[in-house]
Amino acid sequence: MATIAQPSHDGPRRPNIASANVQLPAVKDYEQVDDEILATLVPTKKWFALLALAVCFLMVGIASWMYQIHEGLGVAGYNPPVMWGVYIITFVFWVGIGHAGTLISAILYLFRAGFRTTIYRCAEAMTVFAVMTAGLFPIIHIGRPWKFFWLIPYPNWRLLWPNFKSPLVWDVFAISTYLTISTTFLFIGLIPDIATLRDRCVNPVRKQILAMLSFGWRNSEAEWRHFVRAYLFLAAFSTPLVLSVHSVVSFDFAMALTPGWHTTIFPPYFVAGAIFSGIGMVFTIIIPIRKYFKLQHYVTLNHLDAAAKLALFTSMVVGCAYIVEFFIAWYGGVQAEQDYFWNRVFGQWWWAAWIMLTCNMILPLSLFSQKLRRNPSWLWILSIFINIGMWFERFVIVVPSLSHEFEPWQWTTYSPTWVDYGILLGSFGWFFMWFLLFIKQFPVLAISEIKEIIPPKMKGKGPRGGH
Amino acid sequence: MSQDVNTTSPTDGVKRREFLKVIGASGAAATLVGCASDKVEKLIPYVSSPDNTVPGVSSYYATTCRECAAGCGLIIETRDGRAIKAEGNPEHPVNQGALCARGQSALQGLYNPDRFRGPMIREGGKLVATTWDKALDAVKAKLVEHKGKAASAVFINQHEQGSFPAFLDQWLAGFGLAPHIGYDAEAPLAAVAANRAAYGVSWPKLDFSAAKLIVSFGADYLDGWGLSVQQQLAFSEARANINEAPRVVYIGARRSLTGLNADSWIPARPGSEKAVAEALLAAVKGSGSLKSAADAAGVSVASLESLAKELLAAKPSLLIAGGNGEDATGTALAVAELNKALGNVGVTIKPAEGSLAYEGASSHAAVREAAERMAAGSVSLAIIRGANPAHTMPGAVKFADAFAKVGFKVSFSSYPDETTGLCDVVLPDHHSLESWGDAEPVKGTLALQQPVMDPVFNTRATADVLIALAKAESALGAKMPVDYRAFIAGRAGGAANLTAALPKGFTNGSVLAVGAAKAVTPKSGAGISQSQGAYFLHVYPSPILGDGRGANKPWLQELPDPVTKTLWQTVIELHPETALKLSIEQGDHATVETAQGSLTAPVYLYIGIRPDTIGIATGRGHTAYGRYAKDCGFNPMLLLPTVEDARSGAVTLVSTKAGLKKATGNSRLVTTEGSGRQHGRGIARAVSVDQYRKGELHEEKEAFVGQASTAFLPGLRSPVANDAQGELGDPNSKNKGQYDPNHWSGAAKRRWAMTIDLAKCTGCSACVTACYAENNIPTVGAPWQGGQVMPDRTGFGANITRSREMAWIRLERYFEIDREPKDVEFNPDFETRVIPMMCQHCGNAPCEPVCPVYATYHSPDGLNVQVYNRCVGTRYCSNNCPYKVRYYNWFGYGEPDRTQYAFPEPLHWQLNPDVTVRGKGIMEKCSFCVQRIKEAENRAKLEQRELKPDEFTSACAQACPSRAIIFGDAADEQWSVAKMLKDERGYHVFEDLNTYTAVVYLLKVNHPSPAAATKA
Repeated sequence: MATIAQPSHDGPRRPNIASANVQLPAVKDYEQVDDEILATLVPTKKWFALLALAVCFLMVGIASWMYQIHEGLGVAGYNPPVMWGVYIITFVFWVGIGHAGTLISAILYLFRAGFRTTIYRCAEAMTVFAVMTAGLFPIIHIGRPWKFFWLIPYPNWRLLWPNFKSPLVWDVFAISTYLTISTTFLFIGLIPDIATLRDRCVNPVRKQILAMLSFGWRNSEAEWRHFVRAYLFLAAFSTPLVLSVHSVVSFDFAMALTPGWHTTIFPPYFVAGAIFSGIGMVFTIIIPIRKYFKLQHYVTLNHLDAAAKLALFTSMVVGCAYIVEFFIAWYGGVQAEQDYFWNRVFGQWWWAAWIMLTCNMILPLSLFSQKLRRNPSWLWILSIFINIGMWFERFVIVVPSLSHEFEPWQWTTYSPTWVDYGILLGSFGWFFMWFLLFIKQFPVLAISEIKEIIPPKMKGKGPRGGH
Repeated sequence: MSQDVNTTSPTDGVKRREFLKVIGASGAAATLVGCASDKVEKLIPYVSSPDNTVPGVSSYYATTCRECAAGCGLIIETRDGRAIKAEGNPEHPVNQGALCARGQSALQGLYNPDRFRGPMIREGGKLVATTWDKALDAVKAKLVEHKGKAASAVFINQHEQGSFPAFLDQWLAGFGLAPHIGYDAEAPLAAVAANRAAYGVSWPKLDFSAAKLIVSFGADYLDGWGLSVQQQLAFSEARANINEAPRVVYIGARRSLTGLNADSWIPARPGSEKAVAEALLAAVKGSGSLKSAADAAGVSVASLESLAKELLAAKPSLLIAGGNGEDATGTALAVAELNKALGNVGVTIKPAEGSLAYEGASSHAAVREAAERMAAGSVSLAIIRGANPAHTMPGAVKFADAFAKVGFKVSFSSYPDETTGLCDVVLPDHHSLESWGDAEPVKGTLALQQPVMDPVFNTRATADVLIALAKAESALGAKMPVDYRAFIAGRAGGAANLTAALPKGFTNGSVLAVGAAKAVTPKSGAGISQSQGAYFLHVYPSPILGDGRGANKPWLQELPDPVTKTLWQTVIELHPETALKLSIEQGDHATVETAQGSLTAPVYLYIGIRPDTIGIATGRGHTAYGRYAKDCGFNPMLLLPTVEDARSGAVTLVSTKAGLKKATGNSRLVTTEGSGRQHGRGIARAVSVDQYRKGELHEEKEAFVGQASTAFLPGLRSPVANDAQGELGDPNSKNKGQYDPNHWSGAAKRRWAMTIDLAKCTGCSACVTACYAENNIPTVGAPWQGGQVMPDRTGFGANITRSREMAWIRLERYFEIDREPKDVEFNPDFETRVIPMMCQHCGNAPCEPVCPVYATYHSPDGLNVQVYNRCVGTRYCSNNCPYKVRYYNWFGYGEPDRTQYAFPEPLHWQLNPDVTVRGKGIMEKCSFCVQRIKEAENRAKLEQRELKPDEFTSACAQACPSRAIIFGDAADEQWSVAKMLKDERGYHVFEDLNTYTAVVYLLKVNHPSPAAATKA
């Protein structure tokens, strides 16, 4: 990619080298960074209103879930043999969204892709909250949620262990590992910024908490050296997780016999799809943020342009996977598989499949146009389509496969009920509640990293002194 | 009916039963307690145990089934004083151990939550609970009042075989009243009349095995017509002897289950059966043309000509006439002449070995005539027992209106049915499983009916009530026996003989013969072709619910109709061609109109009905009769005119035309059918008899590409999940894994397996009900079990519209036509295949590795085991099951405090204490009746012996009236199943998926017509 900067070889390795495209010409000095970014932390009425809305959605979700626990899963729209429905779809959807954050913060960090600097904090927070949301869904989905801990290998007097052959147990490990690492990674990256917050804080209690969270950061050379090491280590550690987590999630399907699931392409296909959906969600979040917090001169059109190219690339990978799936279904010569794919696109589920193909494969092609890549409004609209499309991709994988399996006598249909929708809505409420709380507690743009890419203040050049 | 029926129980309560309930339920409760923190129920032992009762060990009682007139022998399993399972009596001459779905559902009649809990009396326009003394006093007074006034009193009794009808007539005579009317809405009276005229007996034995060709003129001998179980046993046995098996031709406007089991269908227009029979008779005798008959029937001349040719070539044949047309007796007589002409009498039709099931049944005309007298106001006392003419008589008779005009009405019914709802006093009868009786299924054999448990409610046996009334009020009392048990003992040759005969269930003897029923002149119609309307209205008795008496039993409501596969619902059957013409699609509402009324119901597109005919089943549309029956479906009897068969006085179900128009609305069909086509998946496979003879049994095209193996036997022995592709999966490998009976580890010497012979299976679905009864499977179709919590689905079958039925075994019915129903033009030549599908107990089960908590795993004896307590409900196992035989508890069907509870008091008394009642959120499936396996193994262990071959069997195999299902140990050559496994017709479903299933199906064999065979 054009924006990948050349790493500097003189002196100690630095986390990011700014290239021409990702520089922030409108940002003059460190104080401006501190002022402008910390200004976003002041709660506003609009923010309270949004938070209230998110909490309302969450309440709807909680109420629906309580009703479901009391009455049984029958209140959801399950229609056997469609035994998995909205909850598993939404689980995979949120896990997928959780991927972009780590990709942007870890993999692009290792690749020295400069455009990540201004968007990675936002993406990383999104990751943590998305995985937190996703982690709820397997519990919501199971018939006896109060027994979910049986999936965790813990020592017990019955000497019963989970079945390590089951992909669902792999999920438990994958998701919990991913949540742990991405939370740690987010937190480590935050330390210098928390220190900045601490320095500017006037409330003594808050200051005390921030002081603890910043581990007494003093901005010393040694601290920076350790910090960079730790950050690099975690970035390297997270990188394989980006690939493995969604591969494991895809095993939930690929390890089964079910036509439409039983395919080896799923791991790369799911990873590409996850990154694609994650970038979509990043757009959904960052574009309003840059507008309402007036951060257009930080998250520049160049950054958006670069991210859009990544979206275009992953969209094409996903599109390629769709086409390969059809090809293999035909080439494999298994009748149940062929019937299923025909039914997916031209039969019972044509509308879902075409929503998926349009949103994920066709509309993103518009990003070939530089004009549209640099048009935030279009990117935001497109990102909504990508979110919808990726939800439907999982719908198309889960529901039509189960509804059209080997046994024609058991072919059915599926329609979610208000409980499914309520919990889906609740998941957005849960996610945005955390995210909204986050953006008022911690800087949504990484102050310390942005400072690295703006020209340092030389003595006597500016109106104020150096840092 | 508008009157409310109050069914609250009197205060004398059921304390002892509560006590027993606790004992029996505690087994199930203890298991539930294990997985949830529900309230703990205490286990209370007997202080002094009743004789011969060991807690937890079943007792068995032989008795006689009263669910229809056939009189099959029953063995009732009771546990701690409660009947829990009805099975056929293996030694009984009628059913030889098999039992249909209706017979098994007798238990849900016994424990029906809507039964009257004690006598009722009408006070202030409402039936309220009363005491036996008060109720009997009221009846006594009326009896005295009517003494000798024969014309002013009517007694309608549900027809049953046995001494009771004659006993009742004696009692009536004692009061100077006219003999009773023995009403049976289902009895094939026209066939009985013709049999009497032609063969001299009411019901000859039909020997299917001796025949080379079977031709049915609308006789639905597999749908509950006649002695259903006996006929099915004989039919399946004949068809299983493949080289000698008879070819079957069905003549009728609609392909019933019998029609679907036929090799050819001649879709004769309603009303033309007699012309066809007569023309065939002429043709067989060498004269006459079939042209006019073919025109009248709307079929091709060639089809009748080839049938006539076949009749001459295939001797002996068996021609059976049924049908409910206007001259059904005439048709049956013509068919009898054909039988005589072809020399079938005495060969395939054996009058000497007939049944007495229909002796003493009165004609429907008699009931209609009684209703006319009631309407005229000349009847002031009506007594009814068992029968429900307000529901089962044609609408034009207006029975309910007439009955309401009677001054004093007494019902002996146990259930709040439509007729009883109009009565002034209800003296609820014991259920047949609580009372004494007898029957004579075969001449000279007296089958006994005995109580298998103490009465559930405060009811009294009608016979004993009659004896008490007689003793108190007339000189007749002196002639009366002490009680009805003493009377039965008298028939059986004394109390000692009775005691000796009871364990077996029958003895030598005969029932008290009833006098000939009073002849009533039937009301005949002008002929079906003369009536108004564009379509013939073909009303037929439901093979599951009969005339409607099964509708209050959830097992039967939830049993899919073997043909339409609809349940909890009345549908209008239309041919797709007709539907297309009227632009009606499946599920659209349509209105059927006759001069008597109209009915609006959803349409089911059925390719097995003539395009000019509308099919509707009886049985539903109750306006009373308890929570499971009331307001469920529609009653097509209301559309029918008062037209009776001219000779027998039988009700004619096919006697009018009807108008049909599309109505507004559309509903989801309550059906278990996904796609009724196989789409080339090779699930239910068949060959023609010629292919069978040539040994061309397994068509490669039905297998998946790249999978050539049809050597299935190794699959049974090498089911090691993690070695599916390796050495153990190789048929030539010496290592057969831990399931090898000779394996050094000794891990398993048994491999439980099942064979299902599709040449025998008719699709009757008795196995489904057997499974419900044995395994405590909840029914889920009642409105309060789904509609309340799914506002978009309400009414009966709400859960089923989301495919949430729980049947561990299901009957898939596939039409061998490529196209889906909506674009099929009429063509009578289509093949139907049925296949029972249940857990295949795969050796290499896809469900097992995916369960995260080991809730499903493999036992060393080859069972795929489901551990309910361990299941957390991820449902991955179901997703990975290619056979889709896993069922999930979407609601707390087994939890008493929930609205969705499937066993409202006292239905839960039937629950099998050996099987856990499942809570919500867990998966369940066929267990191969593991409780029966363990019971037999434990018994063998206690007796210090090995299991004997075929010592026990699964519930489905036990009930199967086709004997198509065989269960046992595949690893032991002495078991029948091990022998059947070697049958060359065997195949596994989806063998190419490497699942190594333990269920082996044997190919169905078709017998195409000689003409079609030569053409091919």
